[in-house]
Amino acid sequence: MADPIAETAAPSPDGWEPRIIAFLCYWCSYTGADNAGTARLKYPHNVHIVRLMCSGRIDPELVTTAFARGADGVMVCGCHIGDCHYISGNHKTMARMPLLRRTLEAFGIEPGRFVFEWVSAAEGEKFARLVRDTVAGVRALGPLDWPGRLRARGVGHGRDLQPWGAQP
Amino acid sequence: MNDAASGARIGVFICHCGGNISDVVDVKRVAEEVGKLPGVVLSTTHMFICSDPGQALVESVIKEHALDRVIVAACSPTLHQMTFRRAIERAGLNQFLFEHVNVREQVSWVTEDPVGATAKATRLVSAAVHRARHLVALDKRRIAIQPAALVIGGGVAGLVAARDLAQRGMKVTLVENRPFLGGRMAQLETVFPTGEKARDLLAPLIEEVVSHKLITVMTNAQVVNSEGVVGDFRTRIRVTPRGVNERLAYRGNAIAACPEETVNEFDFGLSKRKAIYMAYPGCWPPMPAIDWHTCTKCGKCVWAVGGKGIELDAEPREVEVRAGVIVLATGYDPYEPLYGEYGYGIFPRVITLQQLIRYLDPEGPTGGQLPLDGASKPRIGFIYCVGARQIEGVNQRQPDGKVKDYCARTCCTGALHAALTIKDHHPDATIYNLYQDVRTYGRGHEAYYERASESGALFLRFDPRHPPRVEKNPRGDSPVVVQVQDLLTDRLDVELPLDLLVLATGVVPHDISELVGMYRCAVGYDSFLLEVHPKLRPVELAVSGVFLAGCCQGPMDITEAAGAASAAASKAAALIAQGQVEMDPFTARVNEALCTGCQTCLGVCPYTAITRDPVKRIANVNQALCTGCGTCAAACPSKAIEQAGFTDAQVLSEVYALLADRSGAVTA
Repeated sequence: MADPIAETAAPSPDGWEPRIIAFLCYWCSYTGADNAGTARLKYPHNVHIVRLMCSGRIDPELVTTAFARGADGVMVCGCHIGDCHYISGNHKTMARMPLLRRTLEAFGIEPGRFVFEWVSAAEGEKFARLVRDTVAGVRALGPLDWPGRLRARGVGHGRDLQPWGAQP
Repeated sequence: MNDAASGARIGVFICHCGGNISDVVDVKRVAEEVGKLPGVVLSTTHMFICSDPGQALVESVIKEHALDRVIVAACSPTLHQMTFRRAIERAGLNQFLFEHVNVREQVSWVTEDPVGATAKATRLVSAAVHRARHLVALDKRRIAIQPAALVIGGGVAGLVAARDLAQRGMKVTLVENRPFLGGRMAQLETVFPTGEKARDLLAPLIEEVVSHKLITVMTNAQVVNSEGVVGDFRTRIRVTPRGVNERLAYRGNAIAACPEETVNEFDFGLSKRKAIYMAYPGCWPPMPAIDWHTCTKCGKCVWAVGGKGIELDAEPREVEVRAGVIVLATGYDPYEPLYGEYGYGIFPRVITLQQLIRYLDPEGPTGGQLPLDGASKPRIGFIYCVGARQIEGVNQRQPDGKVKDYCARTCCTGALHAALTIKDHHPDATIYNLYQDVRTYGRGHEAYYERASESGALFLRFDPRHPPRVEKNPRGDSPVVVQVQDLLTDRLDVELPLDLLVLATGVVPHDISELVGMYRCAVGYDSFLLEVHPKLRPVELAVSGVFLAGCCQGPMDITEAAGAASAAASKAAALIAQGQVEMDPFTARVNEALCTGCQTCLGVCPYTAITRDPVKRIANVNQALCTGCGTCAAACPSKAIEQAGFTDAQVLSEVYALLADRSGAVTA
């Protein structure tokens, strides 16, 4: 197999680069991502981490908003079941995210664009691998442009999508 | 527009981290780009923003430019978020009007492409600028600290840490997962640089610990679970029954009666022990323990002691220990050479340094005799740096896929010390030292090198890219023969027939992957636990309230491990002495106008912090119970609950900014 880093780091011929938002809990997954850094593991630069205290804070609307604003992929990571800093915040994540995945599929967003995995504070290697795999998968799927797709179908009546009501 | 501070005056500081960031990320460029954003009054870079001059700069700039929001893009917030919060508080600003952007662990250290890294860093910092506009001043919460410590590991570091904490009047629980205290130090014979007997040094220390009123010692005890945070860690500990109690009068009879034998790990496999055993004479607790993996519960020991003092059917019990701080002293394991590495495992006369030390021990498996098969003028070789300073592509990878490329720091002096001990017992022995570099760096260590040289021991330096080869001696006049190219004689090929070959093996961390997950420890590239900062905060983990003592952090000799343990104890005691810890104020707040009283939040709260106000018929958050996970905020269908510090507006502004060029401009 070719080197996954070289494979995913090469920009597409047309200059398009996947833009991926990752929602991570602070205690396990964010520390796991830091762990990848301290171990100097390499992964592509497309993933942008948004830090939350617990994966239980990840409202499914955060994910849909990211897609609606033009993300090509979204990652959601939290502590393994049993490791939650807040006892059971991730139990709610576990209930919400699979349901969200099905909803996204119904919206025409391919399953490969939405990655939901547990990453512990010690799993830097897993996080790096997950990022490489996600970027490679999203790259293979190409640009999503969900706002464009929705506008083309007349959703939103040409206005910018504001799924959250008031614009912050 | 619900912008909390449309007229915000934002200052952005981007750290070079002495090249750790700026070697990959073009920090000047990031500062320039971010400086163009509305509201950014000042955008600059600094070589080490966490340094005293760096913090002083932040403070002075806040005052000079009347900043009301500060952004620092540097290392992970787990390391220095607190540093900068304190700095901006000193400058008179509320500490939560601060955003920390991680451009080291999550950008420069993980990205190979500088262009992509710079673009990513720019997006992350501008996201923080957008988020900063929505920040509001918050007040810290304070909770009391349990005036007690939990020390994990009963080796020399754990013992010293426990003693030092107790001497300061702290209640200490010391947990050791083996049945006996003393750890790796008990397996040594004499120690450098004093030449004292290791177990003679340990005995008074153990005595001091076990007899101290404030210290509770648990042996055979494993940490199974931990909850809580600094100030109140609640740790569940499973105590495996010892199988033996104080009523046992005839322990010798019990051990003699046992028919089951297994490999004695105390002697690194050089001897056998019974299923009911004592680690070494004079060990603590001074009574045997039963190894349940080997014991068949045949009952012969019970019969031999007349039924008193042995319990074969005792059940493990679990206890909860509450402690304000945790000290990790989980220690190391000697590096176990791979099969065939320098002939290890193939030739019985190839042994490790640890095994040699057991052989040299008068209380060891052979009473101090070396396995020389009666050779009158023994030829003994040492190969240094086995499992240490390995080179990718030259040395075989370990099961974890890495090579052990760090210096194990103890083996050079350890090997020279052992070589001199051999010389004392066998003055006519010829000692060959096959080394890359001799690193006798410690105080008094160089004397061992000098004495070994004076004693006539031979030193042959090999090129680490062409390590020595160990083969069977074809002439049969010795068990093995070592081929080595000696750099000191201009790469002369030397062939050494040896009666005994000792591998000066390195140091690897004891496997504590479960504890790493439980306490969310940072782990370095070498698999040892990682301190917050090697110079400024050398014994603290990034997780508040957890401290490092000894070899769990890296290879150390006993002197250094004891020093680190004392440092960890004093840092832990200083924290307890504060009496209280400050907690982040990221709790849930209910917008009474929006709450419909549907009670969805009541069901998702892990802490039952939310109740229904019977009069107003809406949700009410108990701020003392709320820990700030935000699960309720995600669940509320009316968006009536917001998590302070992570409001929808704050998180979304970050998302919008990260995607600004994708869907049009971000309005704010």
